[in-house]
Amino acid sequence: MRELTVLCVGPDEDERAATREALVSDGAVTVTEARSVAEAGDALDAGGVDCVVTAYDLPDGTGLDVAARVRETTPDTPCILFTDAAPGRIDTADREDVVVEYLPRDMPGAREALARMVGNLVDQRTQVGYPLPTREDERLAALEQYDRPGMDAADAFDRLTTLAREYFDVDVAFVGLIDAHEERFLACAGADWETLTREDSMCTHTILRDDLMIVEDTHEDDRFADNDRLDDLGIRAYAGVPLETPRGATIGAFCLTHDEPRSFSEAELADLRRFAAEAMDQLELRRQLNECEAERDAGEATGTGDGGDGP
Amino acid sequence: MSVQEPTYTFDGLPIEGVDPGTNILVTGPALGGVRELTMRMLLRRHSREGALVLAADVDGRQALTDYESMGGDLDFARVGVVDCTENGSDDTECNVHAVGSPADLTGAGIEFSSLYERIHANGAGRVRTGVYTLSPFVVYAPAKSVFRFVHTLTGRIRTADGLGVCAIDPSAVDDQTLSSVAQAFDGKVELREADGQRAVRVRGLPDQPDDWQPVEFDTA
Repeated sequence: MRELTVLCVGPDEDERAATREALVSDGAVTVTEARSVAEAGDALDAGGVDCVVTAYDLPDGTGLDVAARVRETTPDTPCILFTDAAPGRIDTADREDVVVEYLPRDMPGAREALARMVGNLVDQRTQVGYPLPTREDERLAALEQYDRPGMDAADAFDRLTTLAREYFDVDVAFVGLIDAHEERFLACAGADWETLTREDSMCTHTILRDDLMIVEDTHEDDRFADNDRLDDLGIRAYAGVPLETPRGATIGAFCLTHDEPRSFSEAELADLRRFAAEAMDQLELRRQLNECEAERDAGEATGTGDGGDGP
Repeated sequence: MSVQEPTYTFDGLPIEGVDPGTNILVTGPALGGVRELTMRMLLRRHSREGALVLAADVDGRQALTDYESMGGDLDFARVGVVDCTENGSDDTECNVHAVGSPADLTGAGIEFSSLYERIHANGAGRVRTGVYTLSPFVVYAPAKSVFRFVHTLTGRIRTADGLGVCAIDPSAVDDQTLSSVAQAFDGKVELREADGQRAVRVRGLPDQPDDWQPVEFDTA
C-alpha cells in the first residue's frame, strides 16, 4: 500500500503530536502539520495531501473553513473534523455544502478510530462529490494501459475533434480521459481546456452509462443545474459517448458541448458514436503498439529478441 | 458477550436477510407505503441493535411515532433521530437532534456521525440507519454535496457493519439523478401499488426473490 500524507490541523502542539503518533503508528502514513486555516491553505496549495484531520477551533477560523479550502483546491480529499466540540456548538452557516466526517476526540479509543477512519476514507473514496462506477479500481487500472508516456495521440485527436466541431456545428468537441480525480482533455477543439475536477465534469456521469449521455440544457438537469463551473466554461448543452475498451472498461468520453441549449438528431448521435469509435480505435492501436514495443525492448534487454517479428 | 446475528433480517417482509455493511435504496411513491416499508426495515431484532433515522420529509417526533406504529421499540439509548426538516427542534429526552434545514448537509453529517457513535457506545453492536427521505436533500442542496453526503453516509455504514435503508420518492427527482444516486447503494428495494395491492421487488442484492412480492403494512 502506498504511503498516505495526512494534513493535521490544530492550534495545540500536544494534541497534534498525539494525533500524529496515532496516525504514523502503522508505518504507512506521514503527517504534515498546520496550526491555522491559513497554514492549512498553504499546505493544501503545495499539494500531495491525501486526507485532512482538523480541530474545530482554530486561531483564524474553524475546521469547516479548512474543509471549504479542501473543497476549493482538491475536492475529493476526505476531511475529518476531530474535535471535542459537540455538534450543537459547530456553526455550519455558509459551510452547509462542504460535508465532512466527524469524530469526537473525547471518546475512548478516539485516536485509534481516527487512524482506521483515515485509511477507510481514502481507500473507499468516501467524500467524492459524484457517482463512482461500480468497478472503479478496475477502470483506473485499465486506464493506465491507455495513458502512458509516449502514447501521445494529440495530432490524431486534434484532427478528429476539429472535424467533429465543424461537422456538428458546436462550440467545442473534445476527447477526455477520466482519471481518479480529474478529467484530462487529450484534445479539445474550440477551447483550451486541459483538466476539470471530476465533480465538475459531465463525463464522469457519462462513464456510468452503456450508451451516450445527452443533456439538452444543463440548467434543466438536477445533476448540473447548480454547477457554476459549467456556466464559466460556456457549457449549456452536452452530448458524450463513453470510450469503452475492448475488455469493457470505460476510460473516457468523446463529447460535444454548446453554449446554448440544443438538441441532437438521431442521425447526429449515430455519427457521434462513429467519432467515438474512431477515437477508441486510435487509443487501442496505440496501446497495442506500446505493448509490442515494450515486449521487444524487454526481449532485447534479456538478449532473447530476434528482431524478426516486426511488421 | 452474546453472539451477533450474521445478517440483518426483515421479519414480516418478503425480503431475505442481508450482510452487515449493506446499503439499500428504497424507492416508491411517498403516499404509497414507502414510509411504512422504510420503518419496518429499521425494526431492531434484538436489544443490541440500534436504530437511527435521518428525517427530512417528516420531523423527528413524527419519525419516532411512525417507527413505534410499525412496531418499533423506543429505547432512547439506542434509538435516535437526526431531524433535518426546516426549523426542526432538539428533543433531548427522545434523542432527537435538529439540524435546521435539509440544505445543511454538513450539519446533518456531523449529527449523524455523533449520534451513530453514541448509539454504538450505548451497547448497540449493530445499527440500522434509515433516511426518510433523500428527496429533500436532492431538492435543496447542490448535487455535488448530495453525492458527497450519500457516499459519507453509506461509507460509514459499510465500515461499521451497519445497515443503511434510504428512501427516495422517484417522482420528486429526475430519472438521471436517481440512477446516479443509486450507484452508491448495494441494491434497491422497489415498492409499487397496483389495484390496491402493494408489492416489493429486490434488485442487486444476492439471494433474494426475483419477482414482485405482495406486502402489507399493519400498524402495531
